[in-house]
Amino acid sequence: MEFSILALLLIIPLIGAIATLCCGGERQKAAKYVAGAFSGVTLALALYIMFLCDFGDLDMTISWIETEVLTINFALHVDGLSILMVFLTALLSLLVIVFSAAEKDRPQYFHALVLAMEVGLMGVYLASDYFLFYVMWELTLIPMYFMISWYGGPRRHYAAIKFFIYTHVASLVMLIGIFAMGFEALSMTGTMDFSFAFINTVMPFADESFQILVFALLFFGFMVKMPSVPFHTWLPDAHVEAPTGGSVLLAGVMLKMGSYGIIRVCLEALPEGAEYWQWVIIAIGLLSMVYGAYACIAQSDLKKMVAFSSISHMGMVMLGIGCLSEAGVMFAIFQMFAHGLITGVLFMVAGMAGHNFGTREIPLLGGMAGKVPIYATFMMIGWMASLGLPGLVGFWGEFPLVFAFYDFIQSEGMLWLIVFCLLNLMLTAGYYLWSMQRVLFGVETTKIDMAHVHDVSKTEGIAMAVLVGLIALFGVWPALALDYIGDYTSLLMGVF
Amino acid sequence: MFIEYTWLVPLLPMLCFIIIGFLGRKTPEKGGYIAIAGAAGSFLMAVLISYEYLTGDAYPDPVSSSIQWFIIPGNEDYVLNLGYYVDGLTCVMMLFSSAISTLIFIYSIGYMGDQGPRKTRYYAEVSLFLTGMLGLIVSSNFLEMFIFWEVMGLCSYLLIGFWSFRHPEGDDASVNAASAAKKAFLVTRMGDVCLMAGLFILLGEFHSLDYTTLFDPDNIAAVNSDNLTLAMLLVFGGVIGKSAQFPLHDWLPDAMAGPTTVSSLIHAATMVKAGVYLVARGWPLFIQNPDVMLFVGIIGGITAFLAATMALNNMNIKKVLAYSTISQLGYMILGLGAGGYLVALGIQMGGEEGAVLMAAGTAGFFAGCFHMVNHAFFKALLFMCSGSVIHACHTEDMRLMGGLHKHMKITSTAMLLGSLSIAGFPLFSGFWSKDLVLEIAMDAGNDGTVWFTVLWVLAVVTAFMTAFYMFRMWFMTFMGSEGHNAQHCHGESPKSMTVPLMILAVFAVGSGFLALFGLDGILSFDPITYLVGGGHTEGFEYFSELFTNPYTWLTIVLALGGIGIAYVMYGKKSEDVESKTFALAGKFNKNGNAWLYKALTKRWWFPDLYNQISWKLGYGVAKGVNYVDRQVIDGTVNALSSSVVGGGDVLSKVQTGHVQSYSSVVLLGISVLSVLLLIIAMVMGGI
Repeated sequence: MEFSILALLLIIPLIGAIATLCCGGERQKAAKYVAGAFSGVTLALALYIMFLCDFGDLDMTISWIETEVLTINFALHVDGLSILMVFLTALLSLLVIVFSAAEKDRPQYFHALVLAMEVGLMGVYLASDYFLFYVMWELTLIPMYFMISWYGGPRRHYAAIKFFIYTHVASLVMLIGIFAMGFEALSMTGTMDFSFAFINTVMPFADESFQILVFALLFFGFMVKMPSVPFHTWLPDAHVEAPTGGSVLLAGVMLKMGSYGIIRVCLEALPEGAEYWQWVIIAIGLLSMVYGAYACIAQSDLKKMVAFSSISHMGMVMLGIGCLSEAGVMFAIFQMFAHGLITGVLFMVAGMAGHNFGTREIPLLGGMAGKVPIYATFMMIGWMASLGLPGLVGFWGEFPLVFAFYDFIQSEGMLWLIVFCLLNLMLTAGYYLWSMQRVLFGVETTKIDMAHVHDVSKTEGIAMAVLVGLIALFGVWPALALDYIGDYTSLLMGVF
Repeated sequence: MFIEYTWLVPLLPMLCFIIIGFLGRKTPEKGGYIAIAGAAGSFLMAVLISYEYLTGDAYPDPVSSSIQWFIIPGNEDYVLNLGYYVDGLTCVMMLFSSAISTLIFIYSIGYMGDQGPRKTRYYAEVSLFLTGMLGLIVSSNFLEMFIFWEVMGLCSYLLIGFWSFRHPEGDDASVNAASAAKKAFLVTRMGDVCLMAGLFILLGEFHSLDYTTLFDPDNIAAVNSDNLTLAMLLVFGGVIGKSAQFPLHDWLPDAMAGPTTVSSLIHAATMVKAGVYLVARGWPLFIQNPDVMLFVGIIGGITAFLAATMALNNMNIKKVLAYSTISQLGYMILGLGAGGYLVALGIQMGGEEGAVLMAAGTAGFFAGCFHMVNHAFFKALLFMCSGSVIHACHTEDMRLMGGLHKHMKITSTAMLLGSLSIAGFPLFSGFWSKDLVLEIAMDAGNDGTVWFTVLWVLAVVTAFMTAFYMFRMWFMTFMGSEGHNAQHCHGESPKSMTVPLMILAVFAVGSGFLALFGLDGILSFDPITYLVGGGHTEGFEYFSELFTNPYTWLTIVLALGGIGIAYVMYGKKSEDVESKTFALAGKFNKNGNAWLYKALTKRWWFPDLYNQISWKLGYGVAKGVNYVDRQVIDGTVNALSSSVVGGGDVLSKVQTGHVQSYSSVVLLGISVLSVLLLIIAMVMGGI
């Protein structure tokens, strides 16, 4: 077997998680440093792979279960699609640890959970075998479940169970889809190999009716994770109850597992199914987008609003995928990446309202900008980036994506659908500006105890500043990320 | 040799923004001098570039250079670039924007002097604002322009909301500033969304957004004309938002909640001028269809008239100026629309007759741009004068002013000159350009459609109203008996404020004569090649023609009449000193009870309309969606789960308390299991 450094992306955080777990009792204070060191090394490695390695040389395959008909491998692979997600995972894990440095309640468990989640997420994005993919997919659920139910808010048990059941049911449906593909491949070729390379080459030649059915199963599994309307209600609850660090990981990288799965599995393996369901995908995308944006306006909890905005933005990703064109998928992936960066800041800001002000209820806040100027600055940047201000990264997940959609509906003669996109852009600006006005500006509130309000701490500031820096960097020079995506999408479009 | 460095023009203020943002607190004036240096540097660059370009060999061909930014893949790739584009219009815009901004920044040293540490934020934001405007002007394509366009939207949001917390005048004013900032952003955003849609169509048709590609007559001829028409209407939607045209004009009066220097910046040098600039810049595309231009003209004419009516009875000195800006912007748009209509007709008609129409129509391009330049000078002057008055009196209510002339002679004289200019007093700058606009509207009415004759009538009535309300403002402020705050006036403002006033006053009086020195050649439009600049200079003919035209005399008489009526109504000392009611004015409006008076104070009910729409369509629907979300969708899920669990509450199953104690064991178990799996995987792999 050949060993590749990709495996280190899983092994380092895993060792880190165990090491952090050992920092109990007296050594509690060391937990964050241990966790930070391990995730820092992981990030360094991810950057090394991203910029200095030729992706083709990195594949690794260790045969796991091998009989005459069945092959299951421990196989890892990285390409233009997964590298951005790997980078995002490594980055956000480290930043969550930095951000949560002040965690007092059993810090060793908290940081160990973050690292355990990093293992699972890395596994999902690097796996190139369906079996491994599924195992890793399930693995991410467990630390997140505990993160919510240990460190969450008052209704945390309800939210954790809801999160677990929702996504677990969805992944069981997905599992059925994966097995169906395995058996279909068996009947078509006589071997049952679960590797991506094998199944994704064989499946496009399967029956159209088979593709349509299996596409639906897999798509359902992924769309609950994204989440798309109407299977989204676990998300606001999970976010409201989850600790800030958990929310950042949940929205920043876990939701992307859904859209990643749709592109990696549904589009690569089942192109005819995708073409059959195309308008359903678009409809779900448009619905999630507008519905999410409208729901945002009605929220009074800052974090719940941000959670719904995630639904809205992931709807945009869905829309891009639904175009089934090179440009659409390309900018859908870019939007995934952009949303990962931006939503980190959003949840940090929303979560900090809870820690630093004592409440996240918008009606109780007001005029905070005078008291906490640094907080206000971060909030403004985050909000503006998310509403798609040009020059920041969000704009490039929005303008070209809607253009790709325009291009598609124009050729289909359905131009009026663009109205939904424009409405969404308008609503997005509306809820962000309105919430900002009520939280930051106007008369200083008397409904909360202003004496205990404190501004951003140093570690929180560092974590957000890094994200803001990246938001600006990729905003000015989107080609940095687009080059990776372009390599992947031009290959992907070969199957259509 | 300077043109290659055109990108420095927006970059200098950008650098200042960054420097002030990080280090401004430690410098004298909290970054004020850095901002001035940046603006002055940009102005200097603009002068050098303009001189080199206008005297160079390339003129009037545009000089443009771009690098590839990124590609949107498609059957035929859509290439998006980043670069600069210099032609006559760029030069003129660059020069006056940076010059006026420099003066405003100098003035800010005095005006914002008492703001303490918050000055850092102010100077950083105005620098970014200037970056937005200059970047927009030198951009080489529509996407780049759109980015700077939005940057300006952000800056105006921040600056209008500058006092959104801790306002010097108390809490109500803070709340006001916060909601004004939000309104400005959202209303202009509505236009921006339209503009974005327009850009989609343009990008789809041309596969590029570069000016050099889009303004090529051959390329334009090759695209689908229906799509182009739709695209230009949508692009004009952006202009309606940004340049505060009817029906999206209502954000601008509210935007007065910001510091006066910001208002001056927004109204004279940046922001609202961007919309007019976009029409001028996109003229080659706009003139492809006369109906588009008719629409543009109608919007401009209605805006000019409607805004002027609202200024007639307003008591707030800054709001009067805000309405006058909207009204003057209407003139610019009307000029561009009327001229464009004739050119578009000419293009359709072809032949010799068409050529005559096209030649006549291009005057509209000059009229609109010329008025934009003149307006920039006199409006900056007027706002800075009003700032000086507010600085001295601590109020914006004109009823509390009055008789200030003897306290502040420089401000008063400067404001008088500015008012004469905007009122169209003969030989002052506003007179020349406004009459050019009227003339071109008349031409379009005679040779084209009767609509423009109607608009001409509206515009003439507007000219009369303008003269009236400007002098109503001047008399109420500087003449008559002293109001409450005027008695506690601090006297004339410091040098840093009065010197810029004097400089601007010179331009406000004389900028009209720039047409005699070749401005009309630089701002001419060639209807065959679609190039700006290089036209034959005929400023003198223009001017002499004006005085032989009987309609010009009509507007002169109307302007003088407006000034006269204002004097009769507001110029004299009022009988009742305490309440300062104006007897004659009271007779007209039945002491504020006439329905028309009420309609004007309510701004023709536009704010109410906006509120109703946004409240019903925004919050109302949102409430409904939220209800569906919580009750219908989530209700179903919860009902389903409890029926599965058997009537029991899901929570009770996990709230045993044991979960926590076992959880760390579970976590450890998972980790161990994963390690085992990995080891198995490696062993099975056969090391």
